[in-house]
Amino acid sequence: MSIILDANAPKGGIPKLPQRGQVSWFEIILLLACIGVVASGVAHGLMDVIVLSFLFAGLALAWNIAGGYAGLISFGHSAFFGVGAFTSTILLTRHDLSPWIGIWIGALIAAAFGSILAIICARLRGPFFILSTLAFAEVVRIIALNWASLTGGPEGLSIPPTSSLADMVFASKSVYAALMLGYLVVVYGITKGLEASRFGYYLFAIRDNEDAAAAAGVNPLAGRAAAMALSAALTGIGGSLFAQYFLYLDPTYLISPELSFQFALLPAVGGLGTAIGPVLGSFLITPLSELLRSYFGSAAAGLHLVIYSLGLLGVMLYFPSGLAGALNKLTRRRPFS
Amino acid sequence: MSALLEVRHLSRSFRTVPAVNDVSFAVREGELLGLMGPNGAGKSTLFNLIAGVLPPSAGEIIYDGKTVTGWKAHDMARVGIARTFQIPKPYRQLSVIENVMLSAFLREKSTAGARRVAATTLEEVGLGEFAESPASALTVGLLKRLEVARALAMRPKLVLFDEIMAGLTPTEVGAMTSFVAQLPARGITVIWVEHVLYAIMKTATRMIVINRGKQIAEGTPAAMARDPAVVKAYLGEEIAIA
Repeated sequence: MSIILDANAPKGGIPKLPQRGQVSWFEIILLLACIGVVASGVAHGLMDVIVLSFLFAGLALAWNIAGGYAGLISFGHSAFFGVGAFTSTILLTRHDLSPWIGIWIGALIAAAFGSILAIICARLRGPFFILSTLAFAEVVRIIALNWASLTGGPEGLSIPPTSSLADMVFASKSVYAALMLGYLVVVYGITKGLEASRFGYYLFAIRDNEDAAAAAGVNPLAGRAAAMALSAALTGIGGSLFAQYFLYLDPTYLISPELSFQFALLPAVGGLGTAIGPVLGSFLITPLSELLRSYFGSAAAGLHLVIYSLGLLGVMLYFPSGLAGALNKLTRRRPFS
Repeated sequence: MSALLEVRHLSRSFRTVPAVNDVSFAVREGELLGLMGPNGAGKSTLFNLIAGVLPPSAGEIIYDGKTVTGWKAHDMARVGIARTFQIPKPYRQLSVIENVMLSAFLREKSTAGARRVAATTLEEVGLGEFAESPASALTVGLLKRLEVARALAMRPKLVLFDEIMAGLTPTEVGAMTSFVAQLPARGITVIWVEHVLYAIMKTATRMIVINRGKQIAEGTPAAMARDPAVVKAYLGEEIAIA
């Protein structure tokens, strides 16, 4: 039996939301375009921008799992990035362990750091949570800087630039581009899978209403810890890949508020809590900041940052739900969030 | 019939103010127990204690033969206790069907399975046509119905309804009343708080009345309407007119 509706329905009907987890034509075309760019072997200087755009797209997606889906806005993700980078590099340079294995160990340690952070901050919400993540990364940075016997301290660590598949060091930037694209595709796949899975829904529930989530049998603390662990692990993998590309690790750059903000900024520009958003954010912002630096960086000190900031303000003002939201409107669908 | 839920000497104070004070009662399987009391009587606090949102200051909760005192809300949900919120708490960024799917996930691992359960439940409460709409677009009356759908999609053994009639038209109240009335036959025991008294009077098998945190009466709906203590709680002291 069912209840009959009266005049309670809003006039003119209510807009519909699209279903999650489906792969659109836009995504397929974008992927093919990325593969095409890697295969075409564009100019050496441009390839650098492409490598970083792919890497940061993956990192933005990783951040988005915690920040966008579970509502755990973190300004401390550079800690996980640093943990991943240092773990695989220390294992490679001191213990001769291939990064192909070291990356996973780094991911595990980063995941442990992530769940610890979520548990420490169990009772904190909103700005208090955000500030704690920032402080957490600072603690990790200071430890990394002072534990010189492990991390090399302020001098950092270097990976010998001898091209070798076993050591994951390559002469060609195209190989790095392919590697980063692989990372991006894997993190994207995980995100899409998450969107359509029970665990993913649990994260949405914890983000939108924790009381209701608990009433539906979801353990909010366990969900937050798991989301943070997954997000941190994927960020740690990105850190290891960055180390293999850059071949030099500096704790002050790797674990810094600037980098943490960057991880949060890309999904915010692209569209929080969507899969395509962080990718679009990185594809727009990473080349922009790199190109602006190379064109205007020498012309007038700081000019590239002014242009960069104006661009960001423009996006935030005119596309409050990010590039993904604007894209959804273009295709006359309602935004996800 | 055995007791599905039993509370013994349950108390909860906020600082020094006792919101629930030494309340004891039992609900048998298949019962539809009405819980009534004036504003501020402690009905919602009592629900929050049973649902595990608040730990009791004293007393015991026994559910299905197990002592569950102090269990968390998500543990209570897992053993089969569902509840609605007096002020609806939808997941605003999700669609209506996704809101219900989240409850269905308690017993269904797969997204497709949860979607099937959610779709059936939405039809039952008359929200079928809004399945793909964002929950943030629903009116208050529809949100109350969404609360009911979310509770039922958990396939609970015991459900706590907290004022699910507010914002409904008289026709809808009638429909919702007969809907709730048939739940015990489906194996769902109900404890129901409602300010729309005629609805609850018509359907409840038994009623408990609390006032100022204390249980003041218990019996059939008809007996409650005549009980001097109940009348006094709602209308105040009888005034002697000379």
